[in-house]
Amino acid sequence: MPFVGSFIAAFMPEDARNREAWLASFIAVCGLVVTLWLYPLVASGEVIRYRLEWMPEMGLYFSLRMDGLAWLFMALLEVITLLVVLYARYYMSPKDPVPRFFSFLLAFKGSMVGVLLSGNLIQMVLFWELTSLASFLLISYWHHRADARRGARMSLTVTATGGLCLLTGVLMLGHIVGSYELDDVLAVGDLVRAHPWYVPTFILIALGAMTKSAQFPFHFWLPHAMAAPTPVSSYLHSATMVKAGIFLLIRLWPILSGTSEWTWVVAGAGICTMLLASFFAIFQHDLKGLLAYSTISHLGLITVLLGIGSPLAMVAAIFHTLNHATFKASLFMAVGIIDHESGTRDMRQLRGLLHMMPYTSTLAIIASAAMAGVPLLNGFLSKEMFFSETLHWGYGKWMSVAAIVYGIFSVAYSLRFIYVFFGKPAQDLPSQPHEPPRWMRFPVEFLVLCCLIVGIIPGLSIGPMLHLAVESVLGTQTPHYSLAVWHGFNTPLMMSIGALALGVVFYTVLRLFANLTHIDKVPVFHRFSGAQAYESFFLWLTVGAGRVETWLSTRRIQPQILVILSVAIISAAVAWPKEVKFDFALATKDLDPWFALLWLIGCTCAVGAAWQAKYHRLRALILLGGTGVITCITFLMLSAPDLALTQLMVETVTAILILLGLRWLPARLSPKELNIEVPLTVWGRRSRDFSLAFIAGLGMAGLSYWVMITPKHETISDFFMLRALTEGGGSNVVNVLLVDFRGFDTMGEICVLTIVSLTVYALLRRFRPAPESMPLPAQQNNLADPAIRQTPQQQASVGYLMVPGVYLRLISPVIVLIAAYLFMRGHNMPGGGFVAGLTLAIAIILQYMLAGTTWIEARLILRPGRWLAFGLSVVLATGAGAWLFGYPFLTSHTTHLTLPLLGEIHVPSAFFFDLGVFAVVVGSTILILVALAHQALRSHRQPGSTQSDYQTLKELN
Amino acid sequence: MIYVIEPLPLWISVIVAAFLILGGLIVFIGGLGLLRLPNFYQRIHAPAIAITLGAGSILIASMVYFSSVESRPVIHELLITIFVFLTAPITSMLIMRAAVYRDLQDGKIDYSKPSSQPFPVEKED
Repeated sequence: MPFVGSFIAAFMPEDARNREAWLASFIAVCGLVVTLWLYPLVASGEVIRYRLEWMPEMGLYFSLRMDGLAWLFMALLEVITLLVVLYARYYMSPKDPVPRFFSFLLAFKGSMVGVLLSGNLIQMVLFWELTSLASFLLISYWHHRADARRGARMSLTVTATGGLCLLTGVLMLGHIVGSYELDDVLAVGDLVRAHPWYVPTFILIALGAMTKSAQFPFHFWLPHAMAAPTPVSSYLHSATMVKAGIFLLIRLWPILSGTSEWTWVVAGAGICTMLLASFFAIFQHDLKGLLAYSTISHLGLITVLLGIGSPLAMVAAIFHTLNHATFKASLFMAVGIIDHESGTRDMRQLRGLLHMMPYTSTLAIIASAAMAGVPLLNGFLSKEMFFSETLHWGYGKWMSVAAIVYGIFSVAYSLRFIYVFFGKPAQDLPSQPHEPPRWMRFPVEFLVLCCLIVGIIPGLSIGPMLHLAVESVLGTQTPHYSLAVWHGFNTPLMMSIGALALGVVFYTVLRLFANLTHIDKVPVFHRFSGAQAYESFFLWLTVGAGRVETWLSTRRIQPQILVILSVAIISAAVAWPKEVKFDFALATKDLDPWFALLWLIGCTCAVGAAWQAKYHRLRALILLGGTGVITCITFLMLSAPDLALTQLMVETVTAILILLGLRWLPARLSPKELNIEVPLTVWGRRSRDFSLAFIAGLGMAGLSYWVMITPKHETISDFFMLRALTEGGGSNVVNVLLVDFRGFDTMGEICVLTIVSLTVYALLRRFRPAPESMPLPAQQNNLADPAIRQTPQQQASVGYLMVPGVYLRLISPVIVLIAAYLFMRGHNMPGGGFVAGLTLAIAIILQYMLAGTTWIEARLILRPGRWLAFGLSVVLATGAGAWLFGYPFLTSHTTHLTLPLLGEIHVPSAFFFDLGVFAVVVGSTILILVALAHQALRSHRQPGSTQSDYQTLKELN
Repeated sequence: MIYVIEPLPLWISVIVAAFLILGGLIVFIGGLGLLRLPNFYQRIHAPAIAITLGAGSILIASMVYFSSVESRPVIHELLITIFVFLTAPITSMLIMRAAVYRDLQDGKIDYSKPSSQPFPVEKED
């Protein structure tokens, strides 16, 4: 449902801020209602499952599964979504393209729901990646800002890499267990822990979770992700998405935890994160930066709790996840309000906000007090649970010390945050702060209220739901715990109070003696910059890839071909079968002398073309045409009129298009004309290339000859001959073969054709010819020719091209008719879509040549792109049409229609397929033609400037 | 390629044969002219004759033959004739223009004295 919403939202108009928000909230409310409605079911200990066939043959199902844990996270997600949408409605400026925002937001929500509810591990990873993607899009929402783009890229790289690790880990896990269904996986924890693959699997999954939850050493992306709009920061990067990693760890806790690897990796990363990030947070000047680092440290705290591995720690972890989501989301929103109203987030400027916006300030102070762990607020409870867990940890006392240090740091940064609300009101703010609109404040109020309620009466408010989640994870291991504010004077309480007091002292010391507000770098640890490492790594990667490319690759085609051909020849020589004998007697038997003469001419032409290709391209082209004509005659003599026809058309079009292209190639002068000696090395290289080409050509010829003289077994052509009429509905086997039996091939081929023509067009669109071929060619510059005093348009309309032009205009309808004729008869007689397309293209090419580009385009609207699109769509539609009748893709069908004028004609569905081929051929030929023709137009337009360019270039040299 | 040649009435055979031979002769003469004539502007006429007259004769032969074989008037060849008549002059014109251009470039035609030597006689190579 959120995905559908996302789709709808994407199409809403730019200024539909209210409608977008309504849509999004409606979806969130629906989700919330459904979630709440499922509460009784889940509360009764039942696991709700829903399953759809996805790829049953591969053991993959689209399955949804909701237990207590998923329910709790779902409820959290839905509530936060609702609040964030409400908040974003007021936060986003009317100038921002809101549809995109809400569309991404809903897409994110959908993927997050997917992660939470997936009952299949693979499916969960899929949604996991989708959340990364949505996060990327949301961070880069203000894509005109460089920091947003950079942050988005960084977060995507890190989280997607983690996602890849996760996928690998999950695949290994699935392999160990033998199933990807979560139910099956959760049931066999002992098996997994005992398996030799346990360590790599666990490490990979942990990598996935830690990158997502910004754990050390992957924490650096989160502060950079703060370039996103504040609703996004509060939604994705504090309350929901970063919790996905935590969720995954909790989810797989029953099967992966309990080993020393688990404890060391998870708790170790958690402690590093927690301490470093909270230390960093103290020295931030940006409000959002502070919150980002504090988010990281809280995530670290939760990770530590998970790493401790005792059931009570699990309770604390889940509880703290909830608490953190409430107070951190509200803090982000409060910061957003401050930013929105005062125009800055710099803590060095902001002062005395309590006087200007008392209400918001109070809310923010309460929330940050919860963050610091002040009693009677929810943060206090979970933090106390954390302290008591560290005491019971089996690996020594240092964990408790770390916890207290963390407590001190967190109090310090909370104080740093709170400080902006006190003091003299600042005067130099970009805009005068005042209270935000009523409903913009509401989400903050609601969340802070939650903090208070949970903090004062935890057992009544959050207790049952928490219990539900804990039970679904721990099952029978569920410990006895009590959520109470007052547990009596015990060590955790002392630790809390001590941390609070020391934190205050620490902050005061920093403030008074260490000049906190003027430190730009984080002391001691500023060298631990993950972002710096990330950037250098990528720089290194780019440079390294460049180096590898220069070593192993080349942009010149000659060496590539050299390598390919050499490898081909060597492998062919190695694999050459011994029993191959060339029986030349077979070739000379029944030799028709005229045919031999024809071939002699053809071969001479081909050799001549190769000979002249370097210095006299035009001659080579003409000789090539001669070879083409000979090939065409050969086809005719061997009774293949279809091929002959096609060959003729192809030759014509090719010759004209190459001719048009030749004009832009600079002339090549032979060494004799240039009076230079060709060095011996060059001769050596050329001889090598020549012999290589010769061997390759000889090999190909030998191969073809061998294939031809090998006695025919039962070949596939007999099959086609037999079936063409009965099954393909046409007596022209070649055509039936192309459009029916091997329709899928043809479809691929016309796609290639389309791509090629689009590429040619794209390349020529920005093509700048070599300076020496920029000026008009000598033939068009010679004053002896009277035509040069006319513009191309004049030449075509009244000049020497007038008579041919008029003649051809007369003929072109006939050519079009012939094209239609060839097309219609294609299925049974020589012809078909390809030839017809070429014929039509020739008609248009002729018009271009004789009437001129300007004239023709003023009268005929060609749109080759639409031809291409039409052709491809028709082909696809024809192929897909077979599905409607329950046949596989591209199955063809023949009917006979009786039309009033034409009599009975038979219409196979391949007819429409052929129509598509026809359109694609016409479109791609015209597209290339247009590209070439416009190249000529462009250079004619500014001969003066190009001339001067050329001259300056000459002077420079 | 096996054509079953049914016996034709004698007079039809004679007509067809006569036109074929005539067409062949004309094309041959055209080819000879292309080879032998001294000057480009004279040479260009040789294929023109071959195309119009020679192809015309052969097409007439074809019409007569197929009309007789299929016992109905077969006049597709008229279309071919029309197309040949339409396209051949275009080719000739463009080729001749290229020749004129070449001669202008080489200074073989002098525009200042238009009437003096409109079609210069080239020297034998």
